[in-house]
Amino acid sequence: MWWSINTVWERPNVNKALVAAALGAFCMMPLSSRAQELRAPAGAIAGSEVAIGTSGNGNGTFYLIGPGTALKREVQFGQEVKLPPRDVRHAGVYRAVACTDECRSVTFHVSAAKPASLSFLVHPSRAPVALGDVISGVALPFDEFSNLVVSPTKVSFQLNAKDKTIMSQSATTQSGVAWFRAASGRSAEAVQVVAQVDDVSARRVVQQVASDPCSLRIKGQRTAKGITVETEPVRDCTGNPVPDGTIVTFTAKHGKDISTVDAPIKQGIARAQMIAPGPVVVSAASGVVMGNELRLGAQP
Amino acid sequence: MTKRRTWLVMVRALAIASVALIASTQSVGADISPKVVFENSKTAPRSVESLTERSIVRDYKFAWANLALALESNSTDPLNGLFVGNASGVLADQVTNQKRSGLTSRYLNQSHKVDAVFYSVEGDVMELHDTAEYDLQVLDGSKTIYQEHVVARYIVLMTPAADRWAIRQLESVDRF
Repeated sequence: MWWSINTVWERPNVNKALVAAALGAFCMMPLSSRAQELRAPAGAIAGSEVAIGTSGNGNGTFYLIGPGTALKREVQFGQEVKLPPRDVRHAGVYRAVACTDECRSVTFHVSAAKPASLSFLVHPSRAPVALGDVISGVALPFDEFSNLVVSPTKVSFQLNAKDKTIMSQSATTQSGVAWFRAASGRSAEAVQVVAQVDDVSARRVVQQVASDPCSLRIKGQRTAKGITVETEPVRDCTGNPVPDGTIVTFTAKHGKDISTVDAPIKQGIARAQMIAPGPVVVSAASGVVMGNELRLGAQP
Repeated sequence: MTKRRTWLVMVRALAIASVALIASTQSVGADISPKVVFENSKTAPRSVESLTERSIVRDYKFAWANLALALESNSTDPLNGLFVGNASGVLADQVTNQKRSGLTSRYLNQSHKVDAVFYSVEGDVMELHDTAEYDLQVLDGSKTIYQEHVVARYIVLMTPAADRWAIRQLESVDRF
């Protein structure tokens, strides 16, 4: 009060009396009105017990508001508030609030625990052989409570064929994400794509299939009904048989007439029968690949 | 004379009621429609197409408006379809726990500065860094126990669903 500051005190022991009065007044204050403070825990990990320090005396209400959490309980100030693992299993920012007549709060952060699983997305499920950057994958490490592990984590990626490793590389996660792109191998076969963080791994399978035909060679002969043409075994540029069902288009030109037949490859070979009484020139194509021209004379 | 006094009392009562109504409208009807600013200049390895950007902004804004609605009304209904996987589970837990404790939360005056930092080659997952600002109120019944202007950072994973982008992971972090 203004007079306690400005009044000139005549007696020397007045100051002592004032201090004693102030202490007395403090002791007379209701316990609940003394300021309680909260101390945030440092380095809290998801799914581990967390203790929040409190100061002051008396009882009050404690609240915890955070990801997936909203709890309320009575607490005794001056003692630690222990939060069981289930109350802090989600990573993120939490707010602890303690209320008596007024409320005090503190904010703390809970980090994800160590990686316990990997979310691993790989594309495509079928990839042509010997094609650059055709296989891609994304790995996201999660802890046992499904929190994304955002601290930098080294992820190893591997592409394993039956008897060899086609690709091996590692990447460090940035904000919880690591990814790769890779070329496919040279053999038409299933390959395992593996992502690994410490002892946690995830596997996916990519079926490598033959690419487009590399070249086409055809042969043919006259029959009683016309001509029969067929390809030699059709392979891609790395020697893999082109999948059955791939379409080969045969074109026969006789004079001004042109006739075409689409034939699927069966067991590596496409065959077609065409009606052509006169001399014909037959060619074949599949995708962007053209085959040789075959000249057959007129029907005897 | 008595009629005039009664008339004056009625006018005063009407004036007080109007002021109270305006005040309550301003507090309850505070802006809950989030503002979203989207930035994708640093997105890798795939760039974000303009149509995708529009969808992301629309769905992210809608998701936060519904998150606020869910936590204010303690109902999981507004979350349906907008949050999936872990994000959906965490928010559902929060609603359940709020209801059990008699708490509600209000996210007012939201603004989000969203950076798309990762967009997968095949376009099946996008990671956003959201620097969000909002006024957070936590109420125990009708008593406000926490009120603060919050600047929060979120790491968000969004994945495409049938007709929208859904939030699969929404994790607050202390820094990016």
